[in-house]
Amino acid sequence: MSGSTIGPRVPGTTLLKIARLLFNEHLLSAVVQPTISDLQHEVGDAGPGGVKRLRAQWRGYCAFWTLALVAPFVSWASPAGDAGTVAFPDVIARLAVGSIVVTLLAVVGPVLAVWVTVVMVAGALFAIMIHAWYDRHPSDIPTPTEPQRRSPQINFSSTEVAGNMGGLIFVVGSVFIVAVGLPSVIWFMFAATVAGCFLAWGLVSWYTSHPKSGLPENRIILR
Amino acid sequence: MAHNAVMSLPRKERLILELLTSEGPMFGLQLVEHSDGALKRGTVYVTLGRMEAKRLVESQQEPVPPGGIGLPRRIYRPTALGERMLRVWTAFARELAWEMKP
Repeated sequence: MSGSTIGPRVPGTTLLKIARLLFNEHLLSAVVQPTISDLQHEVGDAGPGGVKRLRAQWRGYCAFWTLALVAPFVSWASPAGDAGTVAFPDVIARLAVGSIVVTLLAVVGPVLAVWVTVVMVAGALFAIMIHAWYDRHPSDIPTPTEPQRRSPQINFSSTEVAGNMGGLIFVVGSVFIVAVGLPSVIWFMFAATVAGCFLAWGLVSWYTSHPKSGLPENRIILR
Repeated sequence: MAHNAVMSLPRKERLILELLTSEGPMFGLQLVEHSDGALKRGTVYVTLGRMEAKRLVESQQEPVPPGGIGLPRRIYRPTALGERMLRVWTAFARELAWEMKP
């Protein structure tokens, strides 16, 4: 940072401190510092106050966080000579991704932000409701004695759902949240729900007429 | 830098080379302003950094005037390789357009 005289009120000072935590030296000097420098000069050109200054600050901050979003994917920024060094440590990456998510939620725009908020609140309420229900009605599903090692994933098919009121709340809530979050797939969801009901009806009929058939875990226990 | 990476010239890199060749050395923000929305503030320096790694452009920090506030800006200019690359690519695109003309 040669030749800079940064006072306490210069815009972008905090961003520069954050950037020093997030980015390696090469990325910092080639990409981040010029972006912050543009912010500082534009704000300086805008004058001491008013809307123009605020707009300049807003554009500069947006540019910085956009940069934070794309920086993890910049392949040329890792110096070839620094073998063994970690350019973007795991913890820092998580911190960056977390801050990016928060920033995105703030800037995605009023319409999308409303939907995101609705989905987040619905998800939180749904989680609280499911938790409360299972506190009162403990699940009969056996839990494995040893923790299974699984790669991080979201896989609805591997979620164990009992055939009871809790399971129904889970399924209806999941479908509702996905339908609210992704309105374009609502007809697919509707068709899948109808098909699923037919399949469930067929399975219940079959297991009712053949109560001793199949593997033990396949027997439906209606409570 | 891999040979294949040097040989490719994506649209944004070509635009930057065209602007720097026609308008002269510029800061990143000036490139954004001259690009009619094709270049964005948040990513222009990523593109410029990649071009520097390919040796298509070179940059220099501006001298800070006495009493100057903030970080010094970087001014970018095309290298000889960048100018040649642009000439070759433009000729290639023109020839290809001629070949594909119905």
